Amino acid sequence: MLNVQKITAGYAAGPVIWDINLVVNPGEIVTLIGANGAGKSTIVKTISGLLRPVSGAITYNGKSIESIATSERVRMGISHVPEGRQVFAGLSVAENLRLGAYVHRHALTEEELQARIKKVCERFPILLNRMDEIVGNFSGGQQQMLAIARGLMANPNLLILDEPSLGLSPLLVSEIFALIKALRDQGLAILLSEQNARSALAISDRGYVIESGRVSISAPAHELINSSEIIDRYLGVGGVTKISSDNKKMAAQIRDLIWSESIET
Amino acid sequence: MVEAVQIGLGGILQGCTYALLALGFSLVFRVTGVINLAQGGFCILGALLAHSFQAEFGWPILLAAAGGIAVTAMVAAVLGALVFVPGLSRVAHGNMLMLTAGLLALLTGAILLIWGSQPYALPPFSGDQPAVLFGITLPTQGFWIIGSMVSIVLALWWLLHKTNIGRALRACSENPAAAALMGISVPGMTLLSFILAAMIGATAGIVIAPITSLQFDTGSLFSIMGFIAVAIGGVGSFPGAVAGGLLLGLANQFATAYVSSLFSSALSVGLLLAILIWRPSGLFNVGKTRRQDVREEARVQKGLIRIARQAAWIWGGLGLVLAFTLPLWLPGGSLLSSLNITGILFIALIGLNILSGYAGQVSLGQAGFMAIGGYTAGWLAVQYNVAPILGVLAGTLISLICAVILALITMRLRGLYLALATLAFGLMIDSLAVGLDDITGGPSGLTGIPSFSIGGLDFSSPLRMYYLILGIILVSLFLMAGALRSDFGRALQAIRTDQTAAAALGINVPMYKLAAFAISAVFASLAGSLYAFDFNYLSPEMVGTTRSFELVTMMVIGGEGILLGPLLGSGLLTMLPTMFEALSVYKTFANGALLAFFFLYLPEGMFGGLVRAFRVIKNRVGHRPKRSLLHEGRV
Repeated sequence: MLNVQKITAGYAAGPVIWDINLVVNPGEIVTLIGANGAGKSTIVKTISGLLRPVSGAITYNGKSIESIATSERVRMGISHVPEGRQVFAGLSVAENLRLGAYVHRHALTEEELQARIKKVCERFPILLNRMDEIVGNFSGGQQQMLAIARGLMANPNLLILDEPSLGLSPLLVSEIFALIKALRDQGLAILLSEQNARSALAISDRGYVIESGRVSISAPAHELINSSEIIDRYLGVGGVTKISSDNKKMAAQIRDLIWSESIET
Repeated sequence: MVEAVQIGLGGILQGCTYALLALGFSLVFRVTGVINLAQGGFCILGALLAHSFQAEFGWPILLAAAGGIAVTAMVAAVLGALVFVPGLSRVAHGNMLMLTAGLLALLTGAILLIWGSQPYALPPFSGDQPAVLFGITLPTQGFWIIGSMVSIVLALWWLLHKTNIGRALRACSENPAAAALMGISVPGMTLLSFILAAMIGATAGIVIAPITSLQFDTGSLFSIMGFIAVAIGGVGSFPGAVAGGLLLGLANQFATAYVSSLFSSALSVGLLLAILIWRPSGLFNVGKTRRQDVREEARVQKGLIRIARQAAWIWGGLGLVLAFTLPLWLPGGSLLSSLNITGILFIALIGLNILSGYAGQVSLGQAGFMAIGGYTAGWLAVQYNVAPILGVLAGTLISLICAVILALITMRLRGLYLALATLAFGLMIDSLAVGLDDITGGPSGLTGIPSFSIGGLDFSSPLRMYYLILGIILVSLFLMAGALRSDFGRALQAIRTDQTAAAALGINVPMYKLAAFAISAVFASLAGSLYAFDFNYLSPEMVGTTRSFELVTMMVIGGEGILLGPLLGSGLLTMLPTMFEALSVYKTFANGALLAFFFLYLPEGMFGGLVRAFRVIKNRVGHRPKRSLLHEGRV
């Protein structure tokens, strides 16, 4: 449904991603993995329209979208949950959710809107009881839940999640990933950008490895997760091999720490 | 008692106007983080439009009022779309305040061109007969004023909390990037807030017009009062805007009634300074602060273009020859006089440039120090026959003391609040210049100031004055160029870039800020004294707040952060009106338009623009390899 062809994009100082090719099919989770600064966020911003590409094409359900406004893309069903949650801190939960459906404001009646809020919140019961609270004081996990709920309010077909696990405790991370998987099972296509590569790949169908602004590898997720190269570079346990045998016990502890973040699938 | 109530009522009416202005400030600030000084201009524009509709076209007053508000909204839409909204993405955040000051000048100038300089008033909406309640008379217009404030507050609350547009506005104020992801057009919402604020301003102007007469330049007073009101209440807070406005109106009226009308603005300004020091974020906390490291590096750095060292020597030599021989080529005496003014203002600008261009601190009260220097030297010479040079020194000393005190009390303030505190200082000096008429001669000015002299050598002719000013400028430039190339200059630039990082490097930030402030005050004071001796006369508006704004405009147009840059700005704005006398009525308008143009399209100023243009030409004509050009740019 989403087809990104040879996109080059960046900021005032020049491009930071080059010739990116990427496909997301209906009902699959696609993950972008890569180091900090590799260009993952730039890619997703270009897809949602926050950035205009210098060259290349993006099609969505067969329509060319690279030069239309963000609001139009949201209306077409692309919803982007930004990195660092970015909830409207001074507004209430209900107001945040309403804004999620902003592009449909003329199409929805008040009843339909309330029904949609209720439906979205089925997955986030914690939000239901706090509808009128200002969200600024919510915990990181609660804000992330709200940000995803807000993204779902636009009733998307493609949900883009930029670093949803950033700064969350391991327990919450597994909760978020379980949620993402459930959304996929419901039929949503999901484009995930994650540094927490192991957890992300564990629930993904396919993955792209982004290195210095280019796609270096694209493969099914289970291949990536078993590739020794990927394990070395992105899955964190590669470091263990470098620890000398004197420190085996410590290495085991580190390995446990790293593994505790992943979830069973 | 009745009298006090009466005065209190007057204060509330005035306060309602300030509150309306402050609401407009808060609205735009909430969405953009910018204080929009053009607000007062919209206020006058609305009122004068309504006046024309009513008096010229014979429309009934309420229709004329609606027409005034509607046309003001259209003007705001154009200015917002062409200047304000593009400015937000092009101009450094801290300079937006100056950009809106440019818009204010633009509006003021346009109003002067259309309506002239005479005052206007609207007829009261419901007749001249005042209402009498319990022995207290109140003009019926008072009900209109209070009523429109209450209804605007309610309407604003309803809009922001109960409508989709309002929620979208608040989303933009909370987090523009996330708002864009929701499909909200952030530039559209910004423009909307700008237009709404202008409409509120126009309403304020229209309802107050029957009880106060308005003229083209009342706008800056309204802007400043609105700014003060919003700062007292807490920038961005709506209840704060109302409370701040009412408090300011009451303080103003009681001070006028029981102290003196001459000092009333000094007292309001004193109130503001007290609140800024006691509670820098105002009476009502908005619970959310924007980072106030105004003037971030991005724009300033991009603008810095320097000439290569070799070329600098050649150009410097040519410039010197030109400067020394210029009087020989000039046809008339009036050009030489305005050349002298250019030079005098440039002396003040050297100081301002060190404070703003190098150390990155905002000052909107620089003319206050010019006033101190000018009046001290002038008064000593007129009253006690003190030698001018001693007068200059005395003025400098007083300025220095004031600068140190001001710097110490504003040490904690940054960005907007610092701009406001310096503005308040300038306004206080303005009001003292008018109020202390034993020393300053009051509004009509201090006359009979002798020409400058040292011992037996007097500088009464423009030509002698020219060489005196040239000498002072050369010495100052020489000293400052040396100072700025040392650790001192590097420390200042580090502070401009990031105060926290500078402090982390071990730079004593408060000390350097104090030094930069003191240097700027000394230069301004010196310029003020010379100004008084040059004109043999000094009046409050010559060294008032308008002058402070003009100095900033000159600096920006010329090129800030480069020692010589402001000379071009000073030259342009001083010489043009002299050369084209007939066009001098366009001066205010042109100031505003130029400021907006330079901020948007030529942020490096005329100096940078010239250097860049010269390089392009040289590159096209000669066959210089690209590498050396790059190298040159880095020198």
